[in-house]
Amino acid sequence: MSAARPIPNVIPPAPAHVRRNRAMLIAGIAVLVALFILAIATMSLPTWSRVASGLQRNALPLLRGLVRPETKVLELAWNSMVVTFFMAILGTALGALLAFPLSFIAAGNLLGGTRWALPGKSLLVAVRTFPEIVLAVIFVAAAGPGPTAGIMAMGIHSIGYLGKVFSDVIEGIDQGPMEAIRAAGGNQLHTFLFAVVPQVLPEFASNVLYRFEINLRSAAVLGMVGAGGIGLPLIQRLQFRRWAEVSMFLIVIVAFIVVVDALSSRIRRRLV
Amino acid sequence: MTETVGPAVGHIAFEDVEVVYKTGLKALKGVTLSIPKGQFVVVVGLSGAGKSTLIRTVNNLVTPSSGRVVVEGVDITHARGQALRAARSDIGMIFQTFNLVKRSSVIRNVLSGRLGDLPAWRGVLSAFPKADQAYAHDCLARVGIPEKAYVRADALSGGQQQRVGIARALAQRPSVMLADEPVASLDPPTSHAVMSDLKRIAREDGITTIVNLHFIDMARDYADRIIGMRDGVVVFDGTPQEATDAAFEEIYGRPIDDKDLRGA
Amino acid sequence: MPDQAAALPRATGRVKSFVTLALVAALFVVAFGQTKFNLGALFTGASDFFRFFGRLTPDLTALPQIWPPLLQTIQIAYVATIIGAVIAIPLVFLASANTAVDPVSMWLARTLLTVLRSIPDLLWAALFVAVLGLGALPGVVALTLFSIGVLAKLGSETVESIDPGPLEALKAVGAGRNRTIVFAVVPQIAATMVSYMLYVFEINVRASVVIGFVGAGGIGVLLQTYMNFFDYPGLGALILVIFIVVLAIDGLSVWARSRLI
Ligand SMILES: Nc1ncnc2c1ncn2[C@@H]1O[C@H](COP(=O)(O)OP(=O)(O)OP(=O)(O)O)[C@@H](O)[C@H]1O
Ligand SMILES: [Mg+2]
Repeated sequence: MSAARPIPNVIPPAPAHVRRNRAMLIAGIAVLVALFILAIATMSLPTWSRVASGLQRNALPLLRGLVRPETKVLELAWNSMVVTFFMAILGTALGALLAFPLSFIAAGNLLGGTRWALPGKSLLVAVRTFPEIVLAVIFVAAAGPGPTAGIMAMGIHSIGYLGKVFSDVIEGIDQGPMEAIRAAGGNQLHTFLFAVVPQVLPEFASNVLYRFEINLRSAAVLGMVGAGGIGLPLIQRLQFRRWAEVSMFLIVIVAFIVVVDALSSRIRRRLV
Repeated sequence: MTETVGPAVGHIAFEDVEVVYKTGLKALKGVTLSIPKGQFVVVVGLSGAGKSTLIRTVNNLVTPSSGRVVVEGVDITHARGQALRAARSDIGMIFQTFNLVKRSSVIRNVLSGRLGDLPAWRGVLSAFPKADQAYAHDCLARVGIPEKAYVRADALSGGQQQRVGIARALAQRPSVMLADEPVASLDPPTSHAVMSDLKRIAREDGITTIVNLHFIDMARDYADRIIGMRDGVVVFDGTPQEATDAAFEEIYGRPIDDKDLRGA
Repeated sequence: MPDQAAALPRATGRVKSFVTLALVAALFVVAFGQTKFNLGALFTGASDFFRFFGRLTPDLTALPQIWPPLLQTIQIAYVATIIGAVIAIPLVFLASANTAVDPVSMWLARTLLTVLRSIPDLLWAALFVAVLGLGALPGVVALTLFSIGVLAKLGSETVESIDPGPLEALKAVGAGRNRTIVFAVVPQIAATMVSYMLYVFEINVRASVVIGFVGAGGIGVLLQTYMNFFDYPGLGALILVIFIVVLAIDGLSVWARSRLI
């Protein structure tokens, strides 16, 4: 607005550290992109013509099937999803039961002291790293195909996650109530029941529910290796490319999981 | 003390502006004002009187439910989309809480004041023309902190952050400047320094300015014109000389005391 | 009177927890019936489990066979994370209430993300193996879709919790939506988003270890082969390598994330 002020035309140079950071950011992005290109180039992806012919063969029937789900398999899909749901419940419960004592050992601030904390924590990490589906295959071989194998696999695998979060909760508890009960003449069991359990229970329950949401998704696929639930009938239909039936199964799975997620997260919000 | 309702003329014209919030609360009950070019207006009033609401109708951050605000001949109340953005780019705004992007550098915050006038692609790619970059640095120099250009905004003191806020508004090359309690989060000496800067720049560039202030003494020190609001209505409109203690007691509807003064 | 007032909420509280307990008990009874869960299997299972591990003395001569599919596993996870992030970014802003274009596209974006997240990664993989044939490609596509769902959900939670001040300031400046996002939103979420990308990469590495079980490439193919042929020494070496790689990537990622925030 002021005609009097001279129009400035000098840009002070950016200081060295600003230019260095900018250069490092650009270099970082360049490395990520280079790695990306390298990965794509060396990954033995199929040729375009193969992909195109695969799409040609399957894409249209797939889309046609997806928009017209086969209602004849609705009952089968629903029943298998119900079994899947209960598998997830039992698997989660088993995991929570096993994780409960372990987490007190891994926490190291209550029982046994710190001597067992490190081995306890390492065991939990090891369990978490071991792929669930491999566990399922082992249990299918041992106990035969069916939900039992899936429940065992989920149960064992969940120990890793639940044990970790349980022990984090335990390490964060308020020592005050424990001292109060000890001061009032309570023994170890009293302290545990009246000072520890009430403190940790809501958080434990919330994490168990969260794990249940994850396990419901796992349970839906464990059947692909014979460990019970909706995975088996679904993968059979996928192998025979019965898209309309696949579509029905997908709808049931998505609807079920969306509803259970919503319910579960509502309960979780009320817990903590 | 009541304004004669005539044809609204001037740089900013409020024409019977009413604001009703979604809650049903009527925050402005028919405000008509005319503010000539280059005037430095201070709006005073108790908390809840509608000062922020009034200021926000000028750049349409709050849309009046009836009436309109005309800024330099543009009916901003009914402008939409590109026209609204163009009108806003001519109006700088300064906030009580500064509203800087704390994790960005100072100069980037100032440059963001140029975004309204740039083609979208330049903005998105941060490809500011040389002239704009030079102008942004000049704005920083005018608020007295040219050396802070490459410091992160959250590393500055409150007074410095508000100066960045002024520089960002200044970078818009605005003809109107709005400031909603610009010094409420600052200590008394800093408050005065920031207000003097604001007033000096407004003078130099001939920017029409509306400032909300809580403090009587500051209003008298800096205003060309004081507008008093109570309960969504303009109850005082006059010069600082006319704004006596008695006038303020009328605006506030209670005796004034030391809390209404910022001090020096 | 005060006694009664105090007793009332306690009584309802007790009834409530009793009902909850009864419901949970009933749920478990039904669960046992529906799944025909065999409790005895717990013990035979446990012994089989330990016997299985007892046999896993790693045969390190299997290593040369392991490297190529291991590399592919990491490649699948990396490529899926990058593509997933690139696609997730616009979805993040579409799905967040404070940066959305309009309510309709926001709802569509959110629904899409919900569907993406409710289908497990292995199911995506099986689906795309059926469409695209065996190999790494269906794995990449499956994990990409899964990453989009997770990243965009986490991202839009972050966007919705940013400081709204700068958004308002840029609205007052007259900047359009995209410019506002670049200047006011991106700086506020960048560090968190990079941290989420690392987290999703961790998840993707774990997932791409197993998608081979349905034919979607990576080391899972070899894992399944060894299991089918009861090649315990090979399996031992493979599991050992998976352990080391997953833990190393987790460790690196956790370290990088702790430096970011
Ligand atoms: N977004 C909104 N929704 C509903 N009511 C609002 C909103 N913003 C302000 N109000 C109400 O409108 C009235 C005027 O508010 P305004 O913010 O304009 O007052 P003010 O004079 O700026 O007060 P202060 O000095 O406290 O900033 C108040 O009663 C306030 O509660
Ligand atoms: Mg206000």
